[in-house]
Amino acid sequence: MARTSSTSHGETAVLGKGTNLRGRIAGEGDLRVEGTISGDVALKGHLTVDGGAEITADVQARSVVVEGAIEGDISATEAVAIRAGARVSGAIRGASISIEEGATVNGRIDADFELPAELGGKGAR
Amino acid sequence: MASTVISHGFTIEGELTADDDVVIEGTLRGKLVSKDTVKVETGAVVEADITASSLSVGGQVTGNVTATDRVDLMPGARLIGDVKASRLTIADGASFKGNVDMDV
Repeated sequence: MARTSSTSHGETAVLGKGTNLRGRIAGEGDLRVEGTISGDVALKGHLTVDGGAEITADVQARSVVVEGAIEGDISATEAVAIRAGARVSGAIRGASISIEEGATVNGRIDADFELPAELGGKGAR
Repeated sequence: MASTVISHGFTIEGELTADDDVVIEGTLRGKLVSKDTVKVETGAVVEADITASSLSVGGQVTGNVTATDRVDLMPGARLIGDVKASRLTIADGASFKGNVDMDV
């Protein structure tokens, strides 16, 4: 996390508690969601989905931390962290993926990293 | 800090509804409804009808605005659309084109 937090560019947007977006949101910076979104999310920065927040759509970001619920695919160029209590149904794709005990995950997981040569490179599923 | 902030560099296309205050610094197209205050900051672009308890505009708004309390157009603001509010201020340097209905 320390590696990614310093590289953030742009500003942080917040969708507060009690805020509901029906539609798509795109941005250069980071986004923190405390409310609900039904519509695609595309960010160049980091996405944080708070406990109690709900997203029903595909999300794309540099990195994603989920404490709430996402129904849709998650795609990150860096880390995806599914925290305890989170609910995710959809494919998860990222350079590294962590799932805490107590999280509910339904769907395919695609951690897009290079396997070391001694593990056979690609194709070792 | 406002509970919902659409920062500079963010674009929303759709309908945003909020229980609390909303600050727009980026771009919003669609519809915006808040039970609290809405602030459209300098540099923001909103192409949407806005409903709020009070609205202050420093940026650019195209759409009809309705406020239960008040609408304030700050210097440099640009509003194209009708205003429905019991109180309206237009600062020196704000531009406005539309009808005003203060009979709420």
